[in-house]
Amino acid sequence: MRKVSVDKLEPGMKLAKPVMAASGIALLGEGTELNEKRIERIRDMNITAVVVEGVATQVVPKEEMLNRLDARFKNVEDKPYMNMLKKAVKEHIEGLYE
Amino acid sequence: MSSVDLKIMRGKVENINALPTIPSTLKRLSVLIEKPKITLDEISRFVANDPALATKVLKMVNSAIYGFPGRISSVSHAIMLLGLNVVKGLLLGVSVFEIMQKSMLGLWDHSVGCAVVARLIAVKKGLKEPDEVSVAGLLHDIGKVILLLEFSKEYESAMEDAQTQGVIISEAEKDHFAEGHANVGAWLAEKWCFPRNLIEVMGNHHRPQLSRIAQTETAIVHLSDIIIRARGVGFAGDNSLPVINAAAFEMLKLTEADIKEILKEMENSLEETEDISQA
Ligand SMILES: [Fe+2]
Ligand SMILES: [Fe+2]
Repeated sequence: MRKVSVDKLEPGMKLAKPVMAASGIALLGEGTELNEKRIERIRDMNITAVVVEGVATQVVPKEEMLNRLDARFKNVEDKPYMNMLKKAVKEHIEGLYE
Repeated sequence: MSSVDLKIMRGKVENINALPTIPSTLKRLSVLIEKPKITLDEISRFVANDPALATKVLKMVNSAIYGFPGRISSVSHAIMLLGLNVVKGLLLGVSVFEIMQKSMLGLWDHSVGCAVVARLIAVKKGLKEPDEVSVAGLLHDIGKVILLLEFSKEYESAMEDAQTQGVIISEAEKDHFAEGHANVGAWLAEKWCFPRNLIEVMGNHHRPQLSRIAQTETAIVHLSDIIIRARGVGFAGDNSLPVINAAAFEMLKLTEADIKEILKEMENSLEETEDISQA
């Protein structure tokens, strides 16, 4: 899923998360396919972005993300389970770019 | 440099409702919840008088952090589904949001991330009250907020030490304070009449081996704090990682595959919580 700002919504996109009113009540349910009318309705609401299906584009480049990961683990890599955690997080981060 | 005395620290916590640095919403909330037998009615009335607060809390409970996406319409409904302690914790969480943003940018994201991960692990482990564990995750570093507000000079030099020495903030705190943020958080939780297990989780999240009545919950928050930092979400006062307590980790019996699954689910939930604060 990915977050799309309301001015970039297009018909055919599918909501991956419900759109909520300020009260917390869902106005458009998960899985709803957007059309012009629904997009207009969302734009009338006081929200900046909605979550739609599809892969998110990452803001920080992958190399940079992995460098930061290395830096975070620098002092603790040799401690029990920290290596395993690093491997899990590394593979997870790589997955975000696929 | 001399370190801040234990008595002075406790005094700040005892007198939190009178501290000029504490925002008024948090003070009023604190006055309310330090009464041992608070009723659903009292909480509902309090929230009804502060619509912005009500909106934020409902956004929280309707988000993926909790198990009821889009289905809770009122604060009293939330209390029925989630329990008084969870709602109390959420009210505190959203009330400290603004101070967190001002005093330590990234601490809110760290806290919400920890809450999300803690709930995912609690559900995976089949705990009866995953939402309580999540609230413990949300509030686990609340002691840092008080220290930053009341002893900003000392806390900032602790953060500097953490940076230059490459240690975690709870280590660096030791040179500047008689007690660390975890214990300060536990004192607050006690003052606000949270249950014993939650107090223990907050106090021991950096030394889970000391927990007695809430070992699993403490282990979960201890690990969630490290997982969310490892992923690079938010900022907790330092750029290093705490080391996993081996016994705590072994007690949870999580595999590498479990952790990857939790990370994946966390990613989805976090997308959704991003705009909670913009209510
Ligand atoms: Fe902490
Ligand atoms: Fe933390």
